[in-house]
Amino acid sequence: MAQIISIDPLTRIEGHMRIDVEIEGGAVKDAWSSGTMFRGIEMLLKGKHPWDCQQVVERVCGVCPLIHGTASSYALDDAMDVSLPDNARIIRNLALGANYIQSHILHFYHLAALDFVDVTAVPNYSGSNPALKLLKDKVTQLVAAGDPYPFLPRYSSPDYIGEPGGPGDANLATELVGHYVQAFEMRKKAQEMLSIFYGRMPSFVGTIPGGVTQPPTLMNIAAFQSRLAELQQWIDNVYIQDILTIAKVPQYQPFMKAGDSGGSYLAYGGFDQDQKGNEKFLPRGTIYDNEIMNVQGFDEQKIVESVKYSWYTPDCEGKNPKYGKTEPDLKKADAYTFLKAPRYNGKPMEVGPLARMLIKKPDILVNLATSLGLLTPPVKFGILPRHAARAIECKLVADEMSKWLAQLQPGKPIWDPRGKAIPDESFGRGLVEGPRGALGHWIQIKGKKTENYQAVVPTTWNASPRDKDGVRGPIETALIGVPVPDVDNPINVARCVRSFDPCLACAIHIIHPEHNGVKEFRII
Amino acid sequence: MSGKLVSRRQFLKHAGATAALLGLSEAMIPQLANALQELAAGKPPVIWIQGQNCTGCSVSFLNSNYPGVADLVLNQLSVRYQPNVMAGTGKTAIEAIDETVKSMKGKYVLVVEGPVPTAENGEYCTFGLGTGTKKLMGNTVPNDKTIQEWMNELVPPAAAVIANGSCAAFGGIPAANASVTGTTPISKVVARIDPRKPVINVGGCPSHPDWFVGTVLEALLYLQGKGKLNLNENKMSRTFFGQLIHENCERRASFDSGLFLEDWNQNNPDMKLCMFKMGCKGPVTYADCPVRRWNSKVNWCVGANAPCHGCASPAFYKELSPLYQPLPNVNFDGITPAVDVLGWVAAGATAVGVGAHYLYKQLGEKPREPAEGGEK
Repeated sequence: MAQIISIDPLTRIEGHMRIDVEIEGGAVKDAWSSGTMFRGIEMLLKGKHPWDCQQVVERVCGVCPLIHGTASSYALDDAMDVSLPDNARIIRNLALGANYIQSHILHFYHLAALDFVDVTAVPNYSGSNPALKLLKDKVTQLVAAGDPYPFLPRYSSPDYIGEPGGPGDANLATELVGHYVQAFEMRKKAQEMLSIFYGRMPSFVGTIPGGVTQPPTLMNIAAFQSRLAELQQWIDNVYIQDILTIAKVPQYQPFMKAGDSGGSYLAYGGFDQDQKGNEKFLPRGTIYDNEIMNVQGFDEQKIVESVKYSWYTPDCEGKNPKYGKTEPDLKKADAYTFLKAPRYNGKPMEVGPLARMLIKKPDILVNLATSLGLLTPPVKFGILPRHAARAIECKLVADEMSKWLAQLQPGKPIWDPRGKAIPDESFGRGLVEGPRGALGHWIQIKGKKTENYQAVVPTTWNASPRDKDGVRGPIETALIGVPVPDVDNPINVARCVRSFDPCLACAIHIIHPEHNGVKEFRII
Repeated sequence: MSGKLVSRRQFLKHAGATAALLGLSEAMIPQLANALQELAAGKPPVIWIQGQNCTGCSVSFLNSNYPGVADLVLNQLSVRYQPNVMAGTGKTAIEAIDETVKSMKGKYVLVVEGPVPTAENGEYCTFGLGTGTKKLMGNTVPNDKTIQEWMNELVPPAAAVIANGSCAAFGGIPAANASVTGTTPISKVVARIDPRKPVINVGGCPSHPDWFVGTVLEALLYLQGKGKLNLNENKMSRTFFGQLIHENCERRASFDSGLFLEDWNQNNPDMKLCMFKMGCKGPVTYADCPVRRWNSKVNWCVGANAPCHGCASPAFYKELSPLYQPLPNVNFDGITPAVDVLGWVAAGATAVGVGAHYLYKQLGEKPREPAEGGEK
């Protein structure tokens, strides 16, 4: 018999997310994804000095300030028609790269790994690694003191690594928990790299319209390089290896293909390699229906937003975001979320590392996908490939960053002063790739003030609801068929949702305050 | 004491390093050790919930250095509920709250990140399931529970409430849109529920991990009756928010010499240029950023050749906009930062200094000597 279970809070993501799933025959039959908090970031920018925008939109999300600030800088550059100096372009790429590293490490270890590893197995560690023996003592004491927070309580499941009768053993579990602890230090070093050029993280100050604030010097290049080298080693020897370890666990083999989002992927492209951004390290493109060898182009005009299941009036249906209209209707029958449903060429699109890696298809990814049997029909990319793509991307970007670092030229310009000349009227657009996927910011300037500001963010694509044709969003589709053997412990639902690295604060905000109350606003 | 993780001697040693870095008085260390050791399970329980937040203060907490976050979570604090870190999901996450409220009544610290929206019955922010039902495409499912309802439940049994970050403390960025969502700072929400409950604010957008961790430790001492809270009029610890950024700025000498950055390609080899004319809010912001610095002391905003935006100030963001324009009311007649507009600004020496040197630079004339002590 079908049964609906409601999961709230969906923890270890950013933000407030609720997932409802209908379970039948031990698997998910239907799914609904909802975002449950909003503030109204963009609306407060109206009438403000355009230079304020970047600082304010960084605060859309404390996990993603770097990418929102970067997208905003590009939108403002565009509005001011600046020529970005090479030093500025490279420093922005380095900072974005450092953020990929910190975000991907944070996601796998601190947000996702506790779904796969049994921390309570650590007291049974029998190895001789001194650091792990200390960790064993520590966890043993926590358990003995009856204070195992924040590792318990959690969903129980027989397939945690280290669980008696489960995969792996206590030694493997302890090794992974040791990496979880190391990862705190590693992601912190990546934040330090950002801080070197951008002043601090989260919420940085190092980009401005027209460039960056801090010139490259031998000292800051060296400080960045030494941390990067350490992180590259750790990514290769720990992060990638842990992904391979988890990918080989027999109990997790269903997660190779379970969690497929429908197979359509979108990337705006990121990391400009020339001033105009014609060449990008992560290319732009689209893929439909898992035909991964057939990468197609991207045309902004093909984005349309549906609101049939969102809290907006029917008038808002079917608009391109640039001309989007939004009137809330909180009483609307069948609506269940504040996210709209963006569709590209009529299709729900997954964005993020998996999309980017399938579009770029680096050798390391193709070889791994082949060895894991992912390319044998039916081609599907589920929970584990999503994690693997993120790790591979982390390595590729880190390796490339050391090349970019060598291209910096101390003493050469970092800023185009045209960034300071605010036009009376202008329009600017910044399309970038954040750790979680394709991100667009748009600004309209009028009377030298911000007239309108919009952002369309990755999680809006991934966590979107059904569209006007009833087609589910990528996360909802990915959940269909995910095994849930025990309805009291729907761990696989959480594993599937978390593999997308959702960020709900980003996905929900409001614009267009026309009245004192909520009269017209737009959730994206 | 059973279940103790470190010896008292180890703790004192560690607390010494911690306290030094946090800027706490050495004299407080033995008290700190006692305070932490005497709590029931050895580790003070913390429930950390999120309102209209962006998770920036949680990410900043993860950047904590000496003590690192693994140390804090494993050794020093019992983090019962923290939605970004905890293993539990859905009902297993909520169980952790329920259990703590039951067994740790009057002993846990409630940390709130993000303010509480009060418009529309609080429905702009929910987590967890309510006791009622709602419809979901024809199905009946549990309804949502608002952060306001959570505050009503969690504030009375808490030992103290810490509003972590500028938006929880003062409204911050979401407050600029308060007319829509009814954004309300935590201190006001708590006052409505229990006016006697201690509330401590930690400023910053985000809060510096030392500010947050240090404030938690100071609060624990206070709760043990071992220390006094030295708070300013905004309920912020003077340990961290006691001095103007401008007073301790490493570029103060440039300011005093009238050397201002006006073009980011300018690179004075002898002296880093003052950011005042690019909108620096250091002269009106109380925080110890110049000495504490950020991200393991790697850098800070002015260190990156950028202005301070005043994110630790109760006035952030709305009253400090435009962020990249020089402070208002430091005008050519000299002096007064508009105390009527920026009521929390310290007048006096700093203000005189700003006015005099700015004037000097602008007009190319030597400023009149300010009166001794710089009264206005």
